[in-house]
Amino acid sequence: MLETIKVTKSFKGLRAINSIDLEVDAAEIVGIIGPNGAGKTTLFNLITGFLQPTSGKIVFRGKDITGRKPNAIAELGVARTFQLDRIFHDFTVLQNVMVASRLYARIGFWEAIFHTRRYRTKYADVWEYAKKILQFIGLDNKKDEIASNLAHGHQKLLGIAVALAANPKLLLLDEPVAGMNREEIAVALEIIGKIRSRGISILLIDHNMSAVMSVCDRIVVLNFGTEIARGSPEEVKRNKDVIQAYLGVGKHAA
Amino acid sequence: MKLGRILSYSLPVLFLFLLPAFLQGNEYYLHVFIIIGINVILAISLRAIATTGQVSLGHAGFMSIGAYTSAILTMQFDFPTYGALLLGGLAAMAVAAVIAYPITRVRTIYFAMLTMFLGQVISLVVTKWREVTGGTSGLLNIHPLGTISIPGLITIDFSTKLPYAYFILFLVFVVLLFLYGIENSYIGMTLKSIEQDESLAASIGTNIANSKAIIMCIGCFFAGLAGSFYAHYTSVLTPDTFGLFPSLYIIVHVIVGGRRRFSGAIIGAIVLTMIPEIFRILKEYQPLVFVAVLLLVIFFLPGGLVGLPQTVRVEISKIYKRRAGNA
Repeated sequence: MLETIKVTKSFKGLRAINSIDLEVDAAEIVGIIGPNGAGKTTLFNLITGFLQPTSGKIVFRGKDITGRKPNAIAELGVARTFQLDRIFHDFTVLQNVMVASRLYARIGFWEAIFHTRRYRTKYADVWEYAKKILQFIGLDNKKDEIASNLAHGHQKLLGIAVALAANPKLLLLDEPVAGMNREEIAVALEIIGKIRSRGISILLIDHNMSAVMSVCDRIVVLNFGTEIARGSPEEVKRNKDVIQAYLGVGKHAA
Repeated sequence: MKLGRILSYSLPVLFLFLLPAFLQGNEYYLHVFIIIGINVILAISLRAIATTGQVSLGHAGFMSIGAYTSAILTMQFDFPTYGALLLGGLAAMAVAAVIAYPITRVRTIYFAMLTMFLGQVISLVVTKWREVTGGTSGLLNIHPLGTISIPGLITIDFSTKLPYAYFILFLVFVVLLFLYGIENSYIGMTLKSIEQDESLAASIGTNIANSKAIIMCIGCFFAGLAGSFYAHYTSVLTPDTFGLFPSLYIIVHVIVGGRRRFSGAIIGAIVLTMIPEIFRILKEYQPLVFVAVLLLVIFFLPGGLVGLPQTVRVEISKIYKRRAGNA
């Protein structure tokens, strides 16, 4: 589904991402872990077009998407969430999801301005579509609340709902459970599993190891922009390089 | 309920429709009415551009493009005035379209600076291109709007102020309906989402550059239209009518009225056009008055003039709460 081929990104000579090869298959959940500054989010930005790779290729469903604009990549079926609570804070929960449904809605400019009958039908349709997504995520009882008034955990879930509304085939989740308490994490992980069972592939970054280990099929470990390990959660857990990267054994040892 | 809604819309419309007729005896009041109309169009079209989070400091520049285009077309090429009116708007829109893509890539403060310099460049061109624009001495005797005559029914001759008042009223309604239609549609929602978080909007498939460029073109079209109308109404154009200060005034109209609500720009333009006219003595000190009003609003009315009822309600409920707390 997604393949990155020797993707490299340098910032002023510093290699933030160094020749990364990554594959995500259909309905697979792949985790990317690594210490802070390992280049995880940079990789996300490269895949979704917010940054252009210095070299290498990114292929999505057989199409070379290297260097395309974020909105064009979204249109092909790659959606993402952002770190922190990136949602439309002034909108209600339902408005957030509705505005994110634009690729589903396909509302034209003139029909919208003149509120034609076709527009009203489409709008009602988007309303239903957005409500269904909120039901799926479990936020339908909060649909009329202003997004900025939501609790942190709910804002995170809304972020996922917004990305889902773009109707993706591949969903990139940047720290989906960061800052959540245990119950919230359980809910979020269940939702991530449900998304996968809809046939959507997921690429996921998080620092919460137990969460990543429990939900991912495969894990790729980055450190200083380079892949240091990959494999099943069990394999990665036992990997010496990984333990060293996280605990800093040998480097900072007194 | 339904009747109440119809009344709440139709009564102000009816009032506005009758107002010029009442003011008919007083040329000066009619003039203020017309200027208010022009300022409403400018404020509401600036607000439209600002829905994506971009504040243009060159809006009066686009107005001048419309004004000069229309004036020159009618004076030198004998163009019919109504055609020129439309072309004035289109000329402003065309300039906006050319610069929109590069200019809308930059954010907030840089956009404001670029549009400010653009406005200055436009006014420089108008000042220096003497053969066409008349330079600093400007253009005189611009044709009034052409006579509208429907044989056997009505003949409207634009030799007095009254027909201009009705014509601008008509324009204001068209512009308001159009922009209100945008704001309260899915398109408007998309534009507002861009203001809140550009990257997030792009990640769900919004073409940011296109959206910003389109709304900028639309806003500038209406500014050009207002400019064309102004040219034919006053029959005189000088470059200093459209400098940096008029651009700033339009922004002040929007902020004082209330940035968040559609009606804000309308109220702001009406009130701030009237203040210097009511207190004639203040007219010389217009910048001072505007700054004072602006500061008062920023500090005491965060929602602008349209937010006044709510601010008052909140303050009153605070007082009640305090009392309840003391008791």
